Amino acid sequence: MPHPPTSAFRATKMLHTARGPQRLDIDFQWQQGRLLAIYGPSGAGKTTLLRILAGLTPADTGLIEVEGETWLDTVRRIHLPTRHRSIGFVFQDFALFPNLTVRQQLEFALPNPKEKAIVAELLSLMELNELQHLRPGLLSGGQQQRVALARAIARGPRLLLLDEPLSALDDDMRNKLQDYILMAHHHYHLTTLLVTHHLPEVIRLADEAILLENGKITAHGEPADLFAGRTMTITISPGNPSAKNP
Amino acid sequence: MIDWQPLWLSLRLAGTTALLLLVIAVPLAYWLAYGRGRWMIAVEAIVSLPMVLPPTVLGFYLLLAFSPSNAFGRFLDHYLDIRLVFTFPGLVVGSLIYSLPFMVNPIVSGFRGLSLHLREASRTLGKSDRTTLIHILLPNIRSSLITGAVLAFAHTLGEFGMVVMIGGGIPGQTRVASIAIYDEVQSINYSLANRYAIILLGLSFFILLLVYFVNHHFTNPKTLP
Amino acid sequence: MRLAFIQLCLICMTVPFTSHAQTTEVVVAAAADLKFAMDSLVAVFSKENPDITIKVVSGSSGNFFQQISNGAPFDLFFSADIDYPERLKAKNLTRSDIHIYGTGQLVLWSRSIDPAIDKMNTLLNPAVKKIAIANPAHAPYGQRAEETLRHYQLYDKVKDKLVMGENIAQTAQYAQSGAADIGIIALSLALSPAMQQTGGKYWLIPAAAHRPLEQGFVLLPHAKDNKGAVKFMNYITTSEARAILKSFGFSRP
Repeated sequence: MPHPPTSAFRATKMLHTARGPQRLDIDFQWQQGRLLAIYGPSGAGKTTLLRILAGLTPADTGLIEVEGETWLDTVRRIHLPTRHRSIGFVFQDFALFPNLTVRQQLEFALPNPKEKAIVAELLSLMELNELQHLRPGLLSGGQQQRVALARAIARGPRLLLLDEPLSALDDDMRNKLQDYILMAHHHYHLTTLLVTHHLPEVIRLADEAILLENGKITAHGEPADLFAGRTMTITISPGNPSAKNP
Repeated sequence: MIDWQPLWLSLRLAGTTALLLLVIAVPLAYWLAYGRGRWMIAVEAIVSLPMVLPPTVLGFYLLLAFSPSNAFGRFLDHYLDIRLVFTFPGLVVGSLIYSLPFMVNPIVSGFRGLSLHLREASRTLGKSDRTTLIHILLPNIRSSLITGAVLAFAHTLGEFGMVVMIGGGIPGQTRVASIAIYDEVQSINYSLANRYAIILLGLSFFILLLVYFVNHHFTNPKTLP
Repeated sequence: MRLAFIQLCLICMTVPFTSHAQTTEVVVAAAADLKFAMDSLVAVFSKENPDITIKVVSGSSGNFFQQISNGAPFDLFFSADIDYPERLKAKNLTRSDIHIYGTGQLVLWSRSIDPAIDKMNTLLNPAVKKIAIANPAHAPYGQRAEETLRHYQLYDKVKDKLVMGENIAQTAQYAQSGAADIGIIALSLALSPAMQQTGGKYWLIPAAAHRPLEQGFVLLPHAKDNKGAVKFMNYITTSEARAILKSFGFSRP
């Protein structure tokens, strides 16, 4: 059976956090079709990692190869602009366009305005049909999240990047939305990178997980392996309720 | 009774200036809002300069620049058959400079008030900066665009110092309402001067009302029932 | 939508505003002392020549000289001091000979005090706090006013009380409104209906007190091919026009 293509991501960057300068230094790979969670406490550099991958934040040094396409190579001075990278990005604050209705958000995302079929399909799949003519200002948090997810998927990206997409929602909504993410990931055969600091989410959704601490990857494997029966060093910072030894 | 020509001229000057400034100011404001580089601060200062510059200073330098007895003016006159002194197009050029900051600054504020994620999200959807500007950014700063246009319009309506320097007060061409008021007072036609003045006063007040109304309307979000 | 607006505005800008397809337009730069006299002249001329539109711009002669030197689009220049048209002629900026249309005279004018009583010494009256004169820098009447003050050795005594009008018309307006207690203005303005109606009084300043104020007009290069301008110029030299000018105090040269 042919191996699914591998993608690789290496990068370093000096971060200036509230706790002082911190160096992000990562190197990992993933297979096409996987749902990979990037887990770690706040301030570890997870969002920056995702943004570098998307091309929204520059890296000091880096190499990004996604399914054979080079997106970044600081040595050979290659930097593919964000808009040429086949990605879908869901921001923490959803970043929906205030002037467009739900339907228009999805249509805007289409590379070819004639392919309206996928819009209809997404609206059904994400159960947005009744909301399609409303603007984001009239939607609840959970509804906006579904729209953001649908919009990111609409152009059929190679990589789906989710930056703590559920952190703004209450637990009830969280569970429901996790269903949607999983369903979309499977339905469209996506490769998904999910940044989260919510442990149960990792276990529920991810095929594999990366632990990011102080800018470095301290573990990479199956979620179950990662978090069960292993001693972990997690910095306990004030207000970080998910940090504890198992 | 009343000669409507100066008022019509003022409206035409203000309207032309506001519309042209919309076209000029949007790219400039975009660049100021999103551009990077140490000399952006200098550019911002230059753009805002007409706000603090005495209008007669601006008029003076324009007079020197446009006069056919000087190099640039002579070039315009000789090769393009254009005269910018004492003509309506000359006033438009002067007004474009004079009212530029009143258009640019609200639009820059508008852009800066938008979440950076909007622009980034559009990029992640594969859209060019130009598409993002036209379909996402501009529709969301409508109140800034309107405010800028209205302020530039009102500001141009009241121009005097610059017009006095390069206008020449020619009826039907450069004798705008503010000049007409000045003239009529000199001619001891106080009632006519008063009529022009009251109309301009009413117009300016109405314009201000419009600006406040628009801002109020756009900053009150529609809430769920 | 925005594109349509922009197109509309460009059209507005390029389409000439005045729809005078059938009429000739003449733009006249007239010294401010001619303000009321010119209104009469234009009214009479226009009745006999309805196809010619005369546009009058009023101001100080010195200002006009500057503007014309810088390419201002005037067809005719009526100057309160013949010196300015002569300087234009020297610069090759005239199209005709210089015609004299009168001699200007100065008066003391006040709405509250009768200047005929104390004559020039009225200016020393403690009730006189502000004296209006035209700006000597570019207004001929202002230059003559200053000469008059020096002639009577009053200049140093009153110079702190002087307020400058930008041109002789504004000077008259300062006196008329009472903003200035008294003004040295043109006889032609003192004789105008607007000033007469205020009920002010004036006293004619002897011509010997200052250099003569010969007033002249000339056709300018902008009037090339403008038959209307030539026609108006010729009209001013008719006896009818001269009579009008005389009635406004412009004595015959």
